[in-house]
Amino acid sequence: MDKGMDKGMDSDREYRSGQVPLPGFGPPDRADPAGQPGPSRRDGIRHVRRMSNWTAAALIVGAGSATVALAHHTMTTAAPAAGTASATARAGTAAASGSGGPQAAHSVATTSGSGVTVTTATRTVNGKTVVTHVRHTPAYHDS
Amino acid sequence: MMMMMMMTSGPDLAIALPWQQIMTGDRDIAVAERDALGTRARVAVWPPENLDGACGAVDIVLRALDQQASRFRPDSEICWIHGRGGGLFMLSDGLAEAVGVALAAARWTGGLTDPTIGSALISLGYDRDFAAIDQQCGEPPAAPVPAPGWQSLRLDGTMLRLPPGVRLDLGATAKGLGADRAALAAMSASQQAGGVLASLGGDIAVAGTPPRDGWPVTAADTPDQVGSRAAQLVRLPRGAVATSSVSTRRWRRGGQELHHIVDPRTGRPADGPWRTVTTAAATCADANAATTAAIVAGQQAERWLATAGLPARLVGHDGEVRCLGGWPDADGAPVPVPPGTRVYRGVLRRSGPR
Repeated sequence: MDKGMDKGMDSDREYRSGQVPLPGFGPPDRADPAGQPGPSRRDGIRHVRRMSNWTAAALIVGAGSATVALAHHTMTTAAPAAGTASATARAGTAAASGSGGPQAAHSVATTSGSGVTVTTATRTVNGKTVVTHVRHTPAYHDS
Repeated sequence: MMMMMMMTSGPDLAIALPWQQIMTGDRDIAVAERDALGTRARVAVWPPENLDGACGAVDIVLRALDQQASRFRPDSEICWIHGRGGGLFMLSDGLAEAVGVALAAARWTGGLTDPTIGSALISLGYDRDFAAIDQQCGEPPAAPVPAPGWQSLRLDGTMLRLPPGVRLDLGATAKGLGADRAALAAMSASQQAGGVLASLGGDIAVAGTPPRDGWPVTAADTPDQVGSRAAQLVRLPRGAVATSSVSTRRWRRGGQELHHIVDPRTGRPADGPWRTVTTAAATCADANAATTAAIVAGQQAERWLATAGLPARLVGHDGEVRCLGGWPDADGAPVPVPPGTRVYRGVLRRSGPR
C-alpha cells in the first residue's frame, strides 16, 4: 500500500486556525487542567478514527470488487442471449463450450416435409362409392 | 362496434394420447413419438427420466394449439371466428400470439407467407384435415383465389379485426410455433434440467443444454428418406430447424397435381425450382416461415435467404442439393444457427405454455 495513504489513514487531522476544540479534545500542547482524561481520551478517539478510516477503505474496496464481479457475471451470461430466447441461449452457452450434455451418436429426429399418417381415397366399385383410409407406418429409421 | 369473444375452457390435463418410445441407440437420450395435428410429434430429452414429464407438457401445448388454430376442428377458436363472417374479436392469448407470429412472418417475408390464404387453400380442395382429403377426386379445382393480404388484418394485443369473408390459415408458422412452445414447456416440466428437442411434423426446436456437439438431426425431403443418400445428418446446437417441401401433402383434382404450399399472390400452388427447403434459425417459427417463403419465392429463394442471413439446404426437383449461408456440406457437421428472431419474440418474455 502507498505510504502516503498509510500515513493519511493513521494520522489525525490538524486543527486549523480559528477552530476551538471541545474541552478534553484539545491538541496535545493544551493539557487538560485536571491532567487526567485528556491524553487517554485523545488516544481513544484517534484509535476510533483510524479504525473507521480502515473500515471505510475496506468497504470501498469490497464494494468495488463486488461490482466488478457482478458486471463480469452479467456479461458472461447475457452475451449469448442477445436477440434470442433465454432457453436457447442457455443451450448455446453449453454448446459453445462443448460440454454438459451426453454424447449422441444417432439421429434423434428428422426435419422434412411434414409426413401424413393417414390418407383417404374414394373409388367407385360396381357403382358404389368406396372410401378407403390408408395408414402409413411411420418411419422409425432414425437409429 | 360489437366485439366477440369465444368462451373456452383450459386445456384438459387428464387426457393424453399414447406416446410410443423410440430406441435410437443412445441410452442417455430418451425419445418418444405420437400422432398430433395430422402429423407426428416427437420429443427427445436427456436425462431420460425427464421423458414422461416432457411428454405431458407437450401434450398440453399441442392440445391448446389445436384448439386455438386448427382450420379443421369445428370447435376450434379460429373456426368459431370464421363462422362469424368477420368483425372485431377478442382472442385467447394463445391464438393472439399465433396470429401475431403469422403477421410478423408476413411482414418479414414481404408477403411470401400470408395468414389470409385460407380461402385459397379451400378453393384448391384443402378444406379438411389432410388425412380426409380425397386424393383422386375427379372434380377440377375451383378458380384460384389470391390472398386478400395480411395488411387487411388488424391485431392490437388480443383484439383482432377480421374483414368479412377473410379466412385465416396459419400453416406457414403454426407448426414451428408449436415446436417452440413444446420445447419450452418440456424444459419447464424438467425444471430447466438437461435438454430437450421437440419436433412437430419435422419442424424442430431445441432448448436447454444439447448433447455434445449438438442434437443429431437428419435433413430430408420426406420422413421415409431417412437412411438414404438424399438425407443428411447435421448437428443442431441450439435454436431450431425446419423444412418445407412440395413432396408431401399432395393431392389431385381433375387430373391436376396440387400441393399445400400456396403462393399468396396467385392462389395457386407454388411452382418454383425447389421441391424442399430446410433452414435453421433462432426459433422454429422463424425457420418455418423462412422455408415456406423460400419455396414460394421460387427463383428468388437463394437471394431472399441470403438477405435473411439464414443457413439453408435446398433440393431441386431433379434432386440436386445446394447449401447456402454456411449450411454444412459434410455429414455430421454443426449448423451455424444465427442469433436473433424476426418472427417469434414470445420466447423472450413468456413464462409458461399458452
